[in-house]
Amino acid sequence: MAESPARTAFAEEALTHLDVLYRGALRLTRDPDQAQDLVQEAYLRALRYQHSYQPGTNMKAWLFAIMRNLFWDRFKGSRKEDVSLDDVGEFVLYDKLRDEGAKPEADVLDKLAASEVVEAVEKLPPLHREVVLLVDVEGFSYKDAAQTLGVPIGTVMSRLHRARQQLQRSLFDYAVESGIVHRNGTGQVPQP
Amino acid sequence: MNCNDCVEKFDRYVDRELNNTEVLELKLHLEGCPPCADQYEFQASLKRLVKVCCDKDTAPAAFREKLRQILL
Ligand SMILES: [Zn+2]
Repeated sequence: MAESPARTAFAEEALTHLDVLYRGALRLTRDPDQAQDLVQEAYLRALRYQHSYQPGTNMKAWLFAIMRNLFWDRFKGSRKEDVSLDDVGEFVLYDKLRDEGAKPEADVLDKLAASEVVEAVEKLPPLHREVVLLVDVEGFSYKDAAQTLGVPIGTVMSRLHRARQQLQRSLFDYAVESGIVHRNGTGQVPQP
Repeated sequence: MNCNDCVEKFDRYVDRELNNTEVLELKLHLEGCPPCADQYEFQASLKRLVKVCCDKDTAPAAFREKLRQILL
């Protein structure tokens, strides 16, 4: 099919953000096939709504917003407790490791497997997961993340803070389970 | 700035969301306070770790090609 040069240029530019979109979709759906479906649908929708994109603004954020909105359309009907985190109180991994006598604390981070970190991120409820994806993985500013998610900056900050508490809790549990940290202060981080 | 005020700003510091004045105040405190500096370094490492572990995935080549066929 013969496409107009403007449409082709727009599609080309949009495709430069494919990896970001795919990664985001993969983390949100936790399934490569579903991620591809979601991303493909997002691109088709993006082209259909090309006129609503303002040239010169953040296309990556615009595309991500389309993708995550589609994700949430599909996710609708899920129970609220699956979507968001209750306030489970402060959890500071650094303090926790110090309490357990795991010194130096940073060594514990070096010993965590990448797959464990990914799993901890994927275990976050999607409302919190998407903030971590935008701010920590893709390096969005709070302002861009807020715009992408359609929430105030304060909401981005509180979701992010809570997500990080939960993430640190999961990583601590992994560290204990995998023997990187021994509970109740049995001392040093084991050296290889 | 006391240690509580300092720790409370760590999220925004690792995310580069503090203004210049706040950054200067925080740096000044970190220089004189090894415990806070150590904890800050930990928070920064944690953020790096999440990024490094999660941004390895790229769209499969066949999928990229399929999209090009559909979109271009
Ligand atoms: Zn201090």
